[in-house]
Amino acid sequence: MAASAARSVAALRTSINRPLAFVRKIPWTAGSNELREHFAQFGRIRRCFVFFDKETGFHRGLGLVQFSTEEELQNALQQENHIIDGVKLQVEAPRSKVLPEYQTSDEEKD
Amino acid sequence: MAALLRPARWLLRAGAAPRLPLSLRLLTSGPGWPHAGVCLPAPARPVSGGLLHPARLYAIAAEKKKDIREEPTSFKRAVSPFDWALMRLDNSVRRTGRIPKTLLQKVFDSTCRSGSPGGNQALLLLRSCGSLLPELTLTERTEFAHRIWDKLQKLGTVYDVSHYNALLKVYLQNEHKFSPTDFLAKMEEANIQPNRVTYQRLIAAYCNGGDIEGASKILGFMKTKDLPITETVFSALITGHARAGDMENAQNILTVMKETGIEPGPDTYLSLLHAYAEKGDIDHVKQTLKKVEESELYLMDRDLLQIIFSFSKAGYPQHASEILEKIGYERRYIPDAMNLILLLVTEKLEDTALQILLACPLSKEDGLSDFGSFFLQHCVTMNVPMEKLIHYCKKLKEAQMHSSPLQFTLLCALQANKADLAKVLMKTMKEEGSPVRIHYFWPLLVKHQKKKNIQGIIEVLKGMHELGIDPDQETYVNYVFPSFDSVKSVHTALQENGCLPKDDTLTQAELKSEAVNGNLDYILSVLESNTLSFSLNSFRTSLIQGFKRSMNINLWSKITELLYKDGRYCQEPTGPSEAVGYFLYNLIDSMSDSEVQAKEEHLRQYFHQLKEMNVKIPENIYRGIRNLLDSYHVPELIKDVYVLVEREKIDSRKTVQLKSSDLESTLEKLKAENQPIGDVLKQLILVLCSEENMQKALELKAKYASDMVFGGYAALINLCCRHSNAEEALNLKQELDRLDSSAVLHTRTYVELVKVLGKHGKLQDAINILKEMKEKDVLIKDTTVTAFFHVLNGAAFRGETETVKQLHEAMVTLGLAKPSTNLSSPLITVYLEKGDIPGALEAIIDCHAKYKILPRIHDVLCKLVEKGETELIQKAMDFVSHEQGEMMMLYDLFFAFLQTGNYKEAKKIIETPGIRARPSRLQWFCDKCITSNQVETLEKLVELTEKLFECDRDQLYYSLLKLYKINGDWQRADAVWNKMQEENVIPREKTLRLLAEILRSSNQEVPFDVPELWYEDETSVQNLPSALPVENDLHKDLLNACHWKRNRDAFNIFLKAKEQNVVFNPKTYKNLIKLLLLKDCLSQAEHVKKFAETHIKGFTLNDAANSLLIITQVRRDYLKEALTTLKTALDLKQIPSRLAVTRLIQALGLKGDIESIEAIQVMINGLENTIGLSEMVFINNIALAQIKNNNIDVAIENIENLLTSGSPPVEPQYFGLAYLFKKVLEEQLETAVEKISIMAERLANQFAIYKPVTDLFLQLVDAGKVDDARALLQRCGAIAEQVPIFLVFFVRNSGTEGKTATLRSLLELIPELAEKDIVYTSLMKSYVVNKDVTSAKALYEHLTAKNMKLNDLFLKRYAVLLKDAGEPLPFTEPPESFAYYAEQLKGSKEISS
Repeated sequence: MAASAARSVAALRTSINRPLAFVRKIPWTAGSNELREHFAQFGRIRRCFVFFDKETGFHRGLGLVQFSTEEELQNALQQENHIIDGVKLQVEAPRSKVLPEYQTSDEEKD
Repeated sequence: MAALLRPARWLLRAGAAPRLPLSLRLLTSGPGWPHAGVCLPAPARPVSGGLLHPARLYAIAAEKKKDIREEPTSFKRAVSPFDWALMRLDNSVRRTGRIPKTLLQKVFDSTCRSGSPGGNQALLLLRSCGSLLPELTLTERTEFAHRIWDKLQKLGTVYDVSHYNALLKVYLQNEHKFSPTDFLAKMEEANIQPNRVTYQRLIAAYCNGGDIEGASKILGFMKTKDLPITETVFSALITGHARAGDMENAQNILTVMKETGIEPGPDTYLSLLHAYAEKGDIDHVKQTLKKVEESELYLMDRDLLQIIFSFSKAGYPQHASEILEKIGYERRYIPDAMNLILLLVTEKLEDTALQILLACPLSKEDGLSDFGSFFLQHCVTMNVPMEKLIHYCKKLKEAQMHSSPLQFTLLCALQANKADLAKVLMKTMKEEGSPVRIHYFWPLLVKHQKKKNIQGIIEVLKGMHELGIDPDQETYVNYVFPSFDSVKSVHTALQENGCLPKDDTLTQAELKSEAVNGNLDYILSVLESNTLSFSLNSFRTSLIQGFKRSMNINLWSKITELLYKDGRYCQEPTGPSEAVGYFLYNLIDSMSDSEVQAKEEHLRQYFHQLKEMNVKIPENIYRGIRNLLDSYHVPELIKDVYVLVEREKIDSRKTVQLKSSDLESTLEKLKAENQPIGDVLKQLILVLCSEENMQKALELKAKYASDMVFGGYAALINLCCRHSNAEEALNLKQELDRLDSSAVLHTRTYVELVKVLGKHGKLQDAINILKEMKEKDVLIKDTTVTAFFHVLNGAAFRGETETVKQLHEAMVTLGLAKPSTNLSSPLITVYLEKGDIPGALEAIIDCHAKYKILPRIHDVLCKLVEKGETELIQKAMDFVSHEQGEMMMLYDLFFAFLQTGNYKEAKKIIETPGIRARPSRLQWFCDKCITSNQVETLEKLVELTEKLFECDRDQLYYSLLKLYKINGDWQRADAVWNKMQEENVIPREKTLRLLAEILRSSNQEVPFDVPELWYEDETSVQNLPSALPVENDLHKDLLNACHWKRNRDAFNIFLKAKEQNVVFNPKTYKNLIKLLLLKDCLSQAEHVKKFAETHIKGFTLNDAANSLLIITQVRRDYLKEALTTLKTALDLKQIPSRLAVTRLIQALGLKGDIESIEAIQVMINGLENTIGLSEMVFINNIALAQIKNNNIDVAIENIENLLTSGSPPVEPQYFGLAYLFKKVLEEQLETAVEKISIMAERLANQFAIYKPVTDLFLQLVDAGKVDDARALLQRCGAIAEQVPIFLVFFVRNSGTEGKTATLRSLLELIPELAEKDIVYTSLMKSYVVNKDVTSAKALYEHLTAKNMKLNDLFLKRYAVLLKDAGEPLPFTEPPESFAYYAEQLKGSKEISS
């Protein structure tokens, strides 16, 4: 039951609404707009952000691009070089996350 | 090859020591030549441990570095944080020849926090404070060193002579002025004997100050001690004379040296060069350089760079270019140049720095990456004037060295919060036409925001305005609004300063910001009155946050309705139901399960209101929501969402049902076809095979040939292979093929066939078998490949060249095995065995042509060297060099020379310029020496690689020690310790431990502090089966399920495997049983156990599993069974866990079953200590059982007798009866309580035994009978003095929920306890466990008011409690983890005790 639910959720996420690309190594000079501009060549961008650290005002090079369709995502992933401001980005599809079921041992402590 | 032919004097010093500034390099001790005075003329001798000195002297990488590289994930686990820090230092030095000051500070801090740093850690830190810190000024560096010295001393680090020598070196490198006599006095005070290295460095110290007299004094002293005067000393004297203004005598030193038989080496000349440079005497510098060249000595680029530094520092930067011309740009030039550049910037000589930077030769490959960032960054740090900096940026860009120098400098300025510089830089960028982006301003805003500096924020916004940049929503929401009271005041402030945006950015930002704050009323009104249209997407996340903040369901539905029905907010082509459905999904997805559970009713109302409003969602989204709710364990809500589904779009789903009847009939059909005799025949053959009765088995087969089945053939083939009967084996195989050509044998059988056939010359048949393996896609495991190797190797030893070649070829071309070095080595072995060395070499070359590998090249080279086959060596070397590069060739040759004892040649090779350490190759050779116990060879390797660039000296010495350990040679091990000091190698902990082990096992004193091993070796953990065969998917799944503690999955896999008759190994079953027991699934566990016992001969549970079984049985009240399990375990000589035995005894005690308890006592007899079982467990529970049986008086009498007899089984102060008291109180056995109380008081008053009465007192408090406790205390005042017992009580109870009241009552009864730090730390823990913020606050305030020193653990606990409660912290939270501080506290206690 639990397993099938997890599968459907995963399926839902990948099938209808999450053609996502993780982007790493974004140069500090680029923000969400630059990311969007760059990836717009592959399709319509639904969401796009670069995670800024509100404690410092800088980002850590990590961003997320959500395309409208899986095909657009594949287009982006297939492109070998993604370069913004002369820096090569690392673009990858998110790996499906299977959260291990951590259960604490019920053994009492003496 | 050319490099080999170069004369020895050229061989050299790549990677050796860098140039010290001035004469400092002289002070470094020479390498470990025992008679330095005599054998010095080695021109190639660099200074060890010089200024920017690289890694080889600095081998402190963390112990498991290799693992780390290979498995980044296991890295944190395998390496202690401290080693990790050290590794970072080491890497920094390896890569760059320097250490960033922040890194050193970090490592120092973490060292301090780790409690008591060991000697070698201290050594490492101290050594880092010299020229490895080019970013710090000389005085700052020395201050740093002193800080480290003092702090570590306070923390209890024991210094030995190596530390004092290291400090001296730092002084010299930093030109620190100090009194050598004072230094010696300090050493004497600490009772440390100076050694040769100390004296050499002190001489250098005098010479640095131009004090020849002082230097001479020490020199004289060294002579009386018969210590050798080395080139190092002479070089120091040159500096000494020069600095005293006596250039003539400085020059004369060269003559003096020659007279004593020491040829001046490069070090000597360098001292002289520095002396001239400090005087600005370019002519003499040039002359001397020429002389160096004429003497066929060799100066490195690093040396020349340091001369530039001497010139610049002395005020003659104009000569820099002339020296730059002489630079040869060696491989290691760049890092050295970088360090000099940094040093020059630190010394405010940035123009010279730029000059050197621009002169750096950059290869075309580097053209892509930027160079010079380090320079810009350091300029920013050192506050180089802005105009200069911008000029530098332009220069770098012009020279095409850096593609975006301005941007990089801006980054540095922003990081360093230099707003003015940032502004100027951005202005310049704009002028240049480079984009200036909004987020460039965020770091500046953050800095002001943290201080709530409104004016500062306005200034930044004004700055943006001036540059023509409009802030976006994000800027407002994240970086501007938080500092203002309201959005309105932002509006006003912006208007006043004339930078109000013209568009609606501010409005949208406001909407977002209000949404996040849960101001839904406002949102609704804006959405209703708004004239703009924007997508729900743009603020969905904020809205969800807002929803969660405000639980006003009416507002929820109204806003949702608006979004659904108003076209302005839904511009998606998919329509509103998709958008709103997605919104709902996201809303629920963003909530945690407990949140959804808590707000179930709210959500239900919300869904119903939506239904009323006719809001619909698509079915697929409904399914997603359903799954979410399911996983949150609120399936009750599913029906409420279901009402929202768009009915019309529901498509009828097809259901596929498996027809079980079909399956059944197939099964029956198969059964009907079964031939009765076949089965029996097969079994008989199997038995015969296991009895190795080949003849009988073959006869049987011949007789019933028609009834033979596959299994029988397989067994027979194996049997024939074992008996090396190739003929029969082949026959059988062919018969089997006729019977069933698709039958697949076991991999092992195929390999056996290949082996036997090959051995009997049936080469073609063997190859056919290999082909069949390929065709039938037989599973090839690692062991199969190893088996292949043995087949080939066997043939090689028999000298069957053709067999080896053809079989190898077949294996490889069929793709059964990769042509690895190992698999291919028999191709060479076959020639070596015959003594055909040229043939072997040809075979290697052939191998390389085919597979790009060079198997057994080392052995072949050794043979060639032994036989003196110059031409063939040349051929081999040309070949390796051509194919794998000169470096590999040099190593191959080096090892061959070493192996064959041609050390002189080996030395020449390893000194080839440009050669650098290849750790894996060196390790390979070390291991080879160790396994074949070649002491001399390994010693030579270590000796010859001393100057090898990037050589991990410690690792080599470690290998050497390993070998000495095998041979029990402590004298040589001890010599290694001295050599390492002289070489300035910092030993890793494992090296020190090994050394200590060797010394101790020979009853020798260990002359240093041995670092404790405090983390477990991880090898056992990493033994997880990583390469399970594919066929065993089930097994893998089961292990996985066990690993993740998914007991249900695991049990199902077990059942499935059982159905398929798959039997796993015993360990797997044990794991599964353990898991099931942990999950309290007793019957399932027993099921598995039974299965394992019937399917695996001799299957027994191990100690841990049996213990768990006992616990589970006790929990289920199966005491008889538990007792049997215990007996079984003990019969198997297992040691059951303390917990298991205790649980069982306690359960029996409560049942009043004295007999069984006594039976256990007999069974356990003698094992109490191993189990860790206290006698008290028996005493308590027997007494309890007696009381249960209404024999109260007997119980009390027994206890009294035990305590008052001459030799009680347990010392009175440990005679804990708390358990008995607790149970008696819990069970409300009033008479017993009364009698026990009388007994306890009697023991106290008459026998001065206070433990029982104190335990009783505590149990009364714990049971909430405070009045009884108080009365007891009044009757027996001595209870209050039993402080240690109370402390233990506090610590034990602090971690348990709901014990706060008990602890507090105890404090009220005995208030003096409150002053103990253990008590208040425990109390805080208890408050934290019980989330009692108010009490925690009161405690903290009370303690701070009293000015108590609070430990980090206490503060950390308090901080986390406050944070979780959303309260502000009155102090900064200690940064590390709980475990860290607990360890620290434990450490400090151990030290103080």
